[in-house]
Amino acid sequence: MNAIASVERVSYAYPSGDGPALRDVDLEVGEGRFAVVAGPSAGGKSTFLRLFNGLVPQFTGGRIAGRVTVAGFDAARTPARTLALTAGMVFQDPEAQAIADRVEDEAAFALEQRATPRAEMRARVDGALRALAIDHLRERRLSTLSGGERQRVAIAAALALGPRLLLLDEPASQLDAEGAAIVLDAVARLHRERGLTTLLVEHRLDRLLPLADDVVRVEGGAVACLDPRRFVAEYEGAPAVARLARRLALDPLPLTIEEARAWHGPALARAVARPAPPPPSPGDELLRVEGLALAYGEYEALRDVDLTLREGETLALLGPNGSGKSSLLRAVVGLAKPRAGAIRFRARPAPAAVAERSAFAGFVPQDPALALCQPTVAAEIGDSLRGRAGATERQAALDRWGFAAIAARDPRELSAGQRQRVAIAAMLAHEPPVWLLDEPTRGADAPARAWLAARLRDHAARGGAAVVATHDAEFAARVATRALRLEAGRAAFDLPAHEAFGRNGPMPSPVARLVDGAILPGDVVA
Amino acid sequence: MSTVAWAAWVALVTATALTTTNPYVLAILLAAIALVAVAAPRTERAGLGLRVMLLLGLGLFVFSIGAAMINTGFGERTLFTLPRASAPDWLGGLLLGGDVTAETLAAGAVRGAVVLAVLLGFAVFSGAVSAHAILRLAPAALFHAGLVVTIGLALLPATVADIRRIRELRALRGRPTGVRGLPALVAPAVMGGLDRAMRFAEAMEARGYAAPPAVPARTRLAGVAAAPLLVAAAWVWFYQPEVRWIGAAAALTGAGALLFWGWDCARRQRVTRLTVEHEPFILRIVARVSLASAVALVAADLGGWLPGGYNPFAGFPAPPFSALAIAPAVAALWPLPFLAAWPRPRARGGPAVAPPSPS
Repeated sequence: MNAIASVERVSYAYPSGDGPALRDVDLEVGEGRFAVVAGPSAGGKSTFLRLFNGLVPQFTGGRIAGRVTVAGFDAARTPARTLALTAGMVFQDPEAQAIADRVEDEAAFALEQRATPRAEMRARVDGALRALAIDHLRERRLSTLSGGERQRVAIAAALALGPRLLLLDEPASQLDAEGAAIVLDAVARLHRERGLTTLLVEHRLDRLLPLADDVVRVEGGAVACLDPRRFVAEYEGAPAVARLARRLALDPLPLTIEEARAWHGPALARAVARPAPPPPSPGDELLRVEGLALAYGEYEALRDVDLTLREGETLALLGPNGSGKSSLLRAVVGLAKPRAGAIRFRARPAPAAVAERSAFAGFVPQDPALALCQPTVAAEIGDSLRGRAGATERQAALDRWGFAAIAARDPRELSAGQRQRVAIAAMLAHEPPVWLLDEPTRGADAPARAWLAARLRDHAARGGAAVVATHDAEFAARVATRALRLEAGRAAFDLPAHEAFGRNGPMPSPVARLVDGAILPGDVVA
Repeated sequence: MSTVAWAAWVALVTATALTTTNPYVLAILLAAIALVAVAAPRTERAGLGLRVMLLLGLGLFVFSIGAAMINTGFGERTLFTLPRASAPDWLGGLLLGGDVTAETLAAGAVRGAVVLAVLLGFAVFSGAVSAHAILRLAPAALFHAGLVVTIGLALLPATVADIRRIRELRALRGRPTGVRGLPALVAPAVMGGLDRAMRFAEAMEARGYAAPPAVPARTRLAGVAAAPLLVAAAWVWFYQPEVRWIGAAAALTGAGALLFWGWDCARRQRVTRLTVEHEPFILRIVARVSLASAVALVAADLGGWLPGGYNPFAGFPAPPFSALAIAPAVAALWPLPFLAAWPRPRARGGPAVAPPSPS
């Protein structure tokens, strides 16, 4: 194997870090390989990726030991500007990496600054746009594109420089499922058709692992390069199909449903699902939505939507981007004004003011960590409780959310995952009976999802109820008692979760497609 | 209209506003800007920017009149009298209040109208052309500074959106969102803005947009020396008339240093363009004439050759009206026929600003 990049005994610490972010890393990246970089949040994945284009340590500062070589360049000493020609990088946020207005201008900008002759520039830009299948968007303004399209423009801009190594740092984490699929398919096609060496950090592994030559596992600053099947044999966040096979002790471990059927068909046919627990008997009605309609100008976001939520229920709100999920939650909490319909809390009309509504129906929008501003976690929770009638005492809230150990820490110094948890807790610290969560697992790793699932179960057990708008079907199957799918602002179905995600349901889970009667790997008798 | 043409127009507007004290000229100029603003293309975001600039300009207009009212003591036509107060000696013993005269109000209104015209001119300009287009137009020597400004402009809408979202989050937590909640609103927005700026800068670095090649010390020295030389030249020219030749020499040296700095930076920072803005011949001519007129206005003002100035303190006369004085303001209407003839085509694929996609 010809190595295009090598990392030799590299340790690295951020200027403000407590300890090393990477420890004694040794690794070679073979030319033409497709490697998925996986591991828990804050484990060092992004830091590892930035070694290859010199951003670590040139942009971040800090102390580095060892040597990183990329296509013969010493990455720590070659200016990042120069290294960009060899190692192109795409970041998470499509908004925070574009400078031009039009797609074509964005793809050409770096080439223009390098005084690339126009004919060559034209050829490179055309090639990059074609490779990402966005040739038809070349005249479009970036502000009119979807998130998936914008990320593909960012990849095209990196590709136009002709890199030999493509680095992608969670390029799909800010996108919905559809946008993520488009971007990841585009990356896979680039690798397949051009043989471009690719390192991709991602949490959504089910689509990527079947395509990967290697998995680079980064955890606690330690880095190991593994075969994908060896990786899924021990990784908590492995795709559901692999976890099911692990549970049934099947060997080799499949990465796709097709592999599972082809290799282990008889064993899966013999697998038995545990008897489903009796459906919870819902308590009193907490929330009722009747004939809700909502429009943004001429765009009808919701049309005649009905919804009832009772004590002990967790409702998964599903649907593609633009189907009206967020609009429904915002209307319930008073942030969007419906055109028609009624919203009732405990059979009474919902109050008008947002603060009063959120006292009963606590809403956690996307990226709630944006509003954290207090010096400690305890103060942040206390800030939410101040002035809330009937709110519990601060210490009790900290204990209930599991923050006693970090109560005195500054939220800004926590890892992204911890900060997100604190933000969710701050929005719900006053213990509203109804929780409304909008995409709470976006960018979350397996432990973060498990934490949130446990909180939702506790809440339901105490007689609360929740609506979780999500694209994450596996998480929905894990926490929901019911599933409501919206399509173009209308309810497409409202079913018990075991019917919605079951084999004959409208959204069968991967496990349900393999084992009759099961939805999650844990439902199958080992 | 091309970016160059818009730049030429805003140069004419700015030069006209800054070289006149004639209320007629300023009124005509403001009317011309308003007409061009109505006809000019702009995104929804730029429309918001125009409204903000209009409010800011009107605020400064009112402030200018208010400042004139409390800093009285000039003029003879007393309109009303404010209570008198004097600032402490360590503040120069400035007298505040007293007789408010028609002359001081007129002078304050003229100063406010100048500021309003300049602000509105730039608001129309920035709405009509993108930050990226301005960056492409910037000379190589100013590329890095232009890049920083462009990044700032690119991040502005996201920061405004952040502030809205933080207000919502505060409301959802039952916390005040009005003036009392301002510190809790501003701090996360600033932190978020800084964080986003860092991520943007990192992305730019990773994509090879970083700083241009270093220039030699002599070029940097020329760039640094140009500004003090030009300031010194202006000071000598206006305040030491007996040795104006020294001022002229300093001005020539400063301008030379500036040109050398720009030329050497451009020589080292070569750029190419994938596409070149189409500019019809007639527009090219008109834009060049507009730019030349702006330069001529400034030169004429410096030389004291401009007619039609207005001094309300010289007996509060009616402002002079002459065709020559109002000509630059009327000339600021020149984009109208071009905007009517060649309206900017809307970018394919939908509106300039994406409709809300809440889910």
